[in-house]
Formats: sequence, C-alpha cells, structure tokens
Amino acid sequence: MTSDSSETCLVKVQAFEGPLDLLLHLIKKHEINIYDIPMALITQQYLEYLNMMKELNLEIVGDYLIIAAELGHIKSKMLLPKPDDDEEIEEDDPRADLVKRLIEYQRYQEAAEQLSRLETLERDVFTRVHEDGTAVNAGQLLKVDLWSLIDSLREVFKRRNLNISAGIQFDIETVTLDERIREVTSILISKKKMKFEDLFRNNASRLELIITFLAILELIRTRLVSAYQEYPFGPITLSYEGEPTTWKNNT
Amino acid sequence: MEKQYLKKVIECIVFVSEKPLSIQRLLKVLPETKKSEITECIEELVSEWNSLDRGFGLHEVANGYQFRTNSDFSDEIIRFKEIKPFRLSRAALEALAIIAYNQPITRLEVDQIRGVDSTGVIAALLEKRLIEISGRKEVIGRPFLYQTTSEFLETFGLKSMRDLPSLKELEEIEASFEKPLQGLDV
Repeated sequence: MTSDSSETCLVKVQAFEGPLDLLLHLIKKHEINIYDIPMALITQQYLEYLNMMKELNLEIVGDYLIIAAELGHIKSKMLLPKPDDDEEIEEDDPRADLVKRLIEYQRYQEAAEQLSRLETLERDVFTRVHEDGTAVNAGQLLKVDLWSLIDSLREVFKRRNLNISAGIQFDIETVTLDERIREVTSILISKKKMKFEDLFRNNASRLELIITFLAILELIRTRLVSAYQEYPFGPITLSYEGEPTTWKNNT
Repeated sequence: MEKQYLKKVIECIVFVSEKPLSIQRLLKVLPETKKSEITECIEELVSEWNSLDRGFGLHEVANGYQFRTNSDFSDEIIRFKEIKPFRLSRAALEALAIIAYNQPITRLEVDQIRGVDSTGVIAALLEKRLIEISGRKEVIGRPFLYQTTSEFLETFGLKSMRDLPSLKELEEIEASFEKPLQGLDV
C-alpha cells in the first residue's frame, strides 16, 4: 500500500481540559510546591507538551498559547535582578497571580468531582417518566423560553422557504409594530388562545413575519400574553392574559 | 380531613406527579388543608417509605417530593430502559460547578476561571436545561448571565440550592498540594 506521506491525520483528542489543567497536572506530577514553582522547569515542560500535541496533530487552541506567553513573561520577570532597597522587600512574586488562578481552578475541579459523585438522575436513580421525556401526566404546562420561540419562528420561515438570516432589506414599511401589536391583541382577545404559528399569515412577507414576531415578544414581555407548551418541544400556544384596556392605555 | 386519609391523598398525588411535587402545589390542590398539616403528612410519608427498605422511596428533591428508585438497582434499570446513563463531560461538569457556585455569571467569567473557552459546554448545559439565561450583565456588550435550573437540582438530587455541597475552603485546597508554604524564598 503506497500512501502519500504528506497525508495528515487530524485527531481531536482532548486529554487536558485546558492550559490550567495541563499546568496542574505538571505540578502534581513533579510534586512541585505550588508556592515556589520553578518557572524554568515548568515552562520547559509545558512547551514540550505543546510540541508533543503538535506532533500528534492535536489542535492547539489559542488558550494554550496565551498561558505559554504568560509563563515566559513570568520567567523573564524573575530573572530581573532584585533591587537592594529595603523598602522593596515586600515586592509581589510575579508568580502570585498564576498561583491564585491555579488554586481557584483546582477548587472548581474538585467541586465538579463532588457533583459527579452525587446520586444522579438517569444514572443512579430513576423516576416515573417516559423514555422520550414526555410527562406521565401532561397536566402541568411548560413555560416557553425565548429560544423555543425563536425555534418556532425559524420553523415558520422554513415552511415558507424564507431565510431567517438573509441580508437586511429596507422595504417600505407596510405595517408598523404598533399596528401589529394592536392587531395581534385584538385577535387574541377574541380567540383567547391560539397556536403560535397561526398568527403568521400564509402569504406574509419576511418583514411582516418579523414584525409579528416582535409584536408577540412585546406582548409576552408586558404579560398581556403568555406562551406555553404542553410538553417539551411541542407546539407553542399563546393565551391572552391581560385586561383588554391595558395596552390601549399604554399608547 | 382525617389525617390517615390526607396522607393517602398526598401519596397518590406524589405518585402521579411527573415533577417533584411542591408543598405549594399541594396547597393549591387541597385548599381546605393547612400547610402545617401537609408538611407533617409528607414528612411522615417520607420516613415511612424509606424505612420500608423497598426498591424505591420518597425523597425531597428540587423543592418538592418525588418517588425515586434506590441507586442499588441502577444497572438493572438501565438494562431495562435500554438507555445510556446520564453523563456529563469533565469540561461540562467544571463549567456547571463554576456556574452553580457563582450564579448568575457570564460566559467570560467562566472562561477566566477555566482558562479555556466554554462556549461549547455552555451550549450543551443549556440544551440539557441544567442552566438557563437569567438576564444580561449591564457591562459593555451586555453579555448573558447564566444560572442553574430546577432540573439541575433534580439531576443531582438536591433539595434546594442550600443543599449544594459547600465549596472547599481555599486553605483546604492549598493544603492538598504536597508541600505547602515552606521554601518560599523568592
């Protein structure tokens, strides 16, 4: 089998969670006193590791290089002769910030480990829920978050073959946001409840869809309308909550 | 309502409830009863169920009560459900711990502690609904602030945020490094 030697194989393995993780590993491996890190040794070890990553074709993200630069910077600072002044004795150790970060990071690594040791749902303990995550009883309604609303808008766009992120066009405004809010409010007052999608007319333009969406957001924000789902990822229903006069008074 | 009857009513409602059932919700369903009665009943139910030594028990979790299986039988249940057990990557757990102990917090602040970009893991945590956006920080760029959800409490079986294991004291961490403090001559 003849294979081109220039062929590369990019392996994405993340042995370390980041540069601080790597540094902590080196410190523990060499049993280094964290308050007296030998900068020359640790910098050399760190760079050796980066080289190894490069040879293994592992992607080295910028975060590793930032810490590499910081290590070099601290090392050079420590090489500077110390002034003899008595007053300067209290001068900060250039390594202090790095040590503080490492200890802080170690703290959260341990907290993460602690979390993973807790009895975890769907790993150690189980409840009476269907495997697809839908409720055994669908009595409680789920509040809808902004992302579900945006997902639904994306669906509306998709069904109409419109691109949600297409460039901005400056059309002559056929309908203003204020008008649309009033329109949507009156539709909801008469219907009380309706599907999110049904508020979007079939032949509506992109601008009109967006204005309608903004109108819905505004109505949810002012709590005149609430949005909910009966089960996760289900259709979104809008329901009229407020007093019919509230919006008019605001305008 | 007679107490033994009330206890059975509560037991049934907890049984059919999908989410951990809160006292507030029970009060809504049973408007005639006092909060103290409900609390008393449910506490008795908890200790009764858990002294039975059965496959599952009644537990206080995420500001409510829920029947949960005993962790001794997880292997069999996983085999029965034919699922992969819940798992978070180390990176995701780290970010989650940082958010849990510092909420609300921005992504940048999480990045700073971890020394590495956390965009991907935060997206994964959002998708699993373990965290949510709680608002925006009023600084340049108005970045999102993240906080943990009640699903977070449910997932880790915590009664409430106060039940979160306390973060180790910095001194304790410092002591865990092999040779603390000596030889500090710069």
